[in-house]
Amino acid sequence: MRRYFQNVCIIFTATTAVLLPGTIAVQAAENDELHEIETKYIFGTFTVGSSTGIEGEKAFEPETEANFGKGGGGRYGVSQTVLEYEYTPTQYLQIEFGPSVSYYNIHNVPGLDDRNMAAINGFEAEFRSVLIDRNPSPIAVTLSLEPEFHSRDETSGAKVVNYGLEAKLEADAELIKNRLFWGFNLLYEPETTRADLGQWENETTFGISSALAYQIVPNVVIGADLWYLRHYDGAAFNSFTGDAVYLGPTFYWKIAPKVLMSAAWETQITGHEPGVSARLDFTDFSRQRARLLLEFEF
Amino acid sequence: MQVSHFLRRAVRPMKILFAITLLGTAVLFVSEHSNAQQSASVSISVKDHRFQPSQLSAPANRPISIRVKNLDSAPMEFESTSLRVEKVIAPGSEGVVNVRALAPGRYEFFDDFHQQTRGTLVVQ
Repeated sequence: MRRYFQNVCIIFTATTAVLLPGTIAVQAAENDELHEIETKYIFGTFTVGSSTGIEGEKAFEPETEANFGKGGGGRYGVSQTVLEYEYTPTQYLQIEFGPSVSYYNIHNVPGLDDRNMAAINGFEAEFRSVLIDRNPSPIAVTLSLEPEFHSRDETSGAKVVNYGLEAKLEADAELIKNRLFWGFNLLYEPETTRADLGQWENETTFGISSALAYQIVPNVVIGADLWYLRHYDGAAFNSFTGDAVYLGPTFYWKIAPKVLMSAAWETQITGHEPGVSARLDFTDFSRQRARLLLEFEF
Repeated sequence: MQVSHFLRRAVRPMKILFAITLLGTAVLFVSEHSNAQQSASVSISVKDHRFQPSQLSAPANRPISIRVKNLDSAPMEFESTSLRVEKVIAPGSEGVVNVRALAPGRYEFFDDFHQQTRGTLVVQ
């Protein structure tokens, strides 16, 4: 386990070593074609930027996360779509809420029941607040609190009662004005779940991410996203059950002044589960994960 | 008995989540309103889809009130990503955009209905 943790530390240290001096040193010439851009979705939505939107802005945002692949063969595909209404009441606060719909396609996966079904799966809300503005600080930071309720297990689709709170620090820096951005997220997500046996069980996910986003032409941004996730039983990191590193490309396109899309596809490149010799953790995490978000402002 | 036990167990996390959410929201509003102070006023016009003047100046660390006059025959939307404001202004009318206190720097703004119409707020 120590070896995996060291590897992850090396990856993050290398990324930071490359990027942080750039934050200070790079003062590239402004490109007249490029203008200020909201950073919230430019990192592909696994890593979220610090922008909290524009005061009075309202938007509809269908956001889908899909997970593919579990170890041991079989077919595993699970998606969850949140139909979010987003509102920015002040220049400091953004609110989102909406129901979620899940789809499960599970066949011959060891440890999981076969399932091919769709279901309305719960309700999520999100409150985002600016903690540190970009100017004069080179790094902007936003706090996000996302209370969630789900009636189906996100991995297996089994009926449960699940409450969670996804707390995130969402930071970013503009390395080259209007051109190159660095994003960083810190995640703490405690959950409590009541399954068939009637017992409430707590679990926690901790995560840290680093992402780069480059505006190649006006309103089109490409990049890469790196996540390190650790999963525990218990609400306060009680018992470590596994970790994983995800890496993949991101894409952002502001299609029209009031319409945008953001997408990311990530692969588990390394992972660890105590007592298991495999080099990936398929119990707590999937082999692949993807997100697609559309935003329609009105 | 089991149902009431279940409800008690289910309601408790909801209460915690609700309390956290409420606390967070309260902190946000308090921090926002603690910055209340007299605002500085600046004015700008839009004619032939150009801001006049294209560059505004305002003092740092004070809220700013921007009066925008639309002299064109088409509606415009004053918008800024870094100022985090937007306002639709009908043809031949004017509107006021209130901006929080800002640190020194340059802040872009534009007409979201005519994206080539752009200007800069210089805060010093």
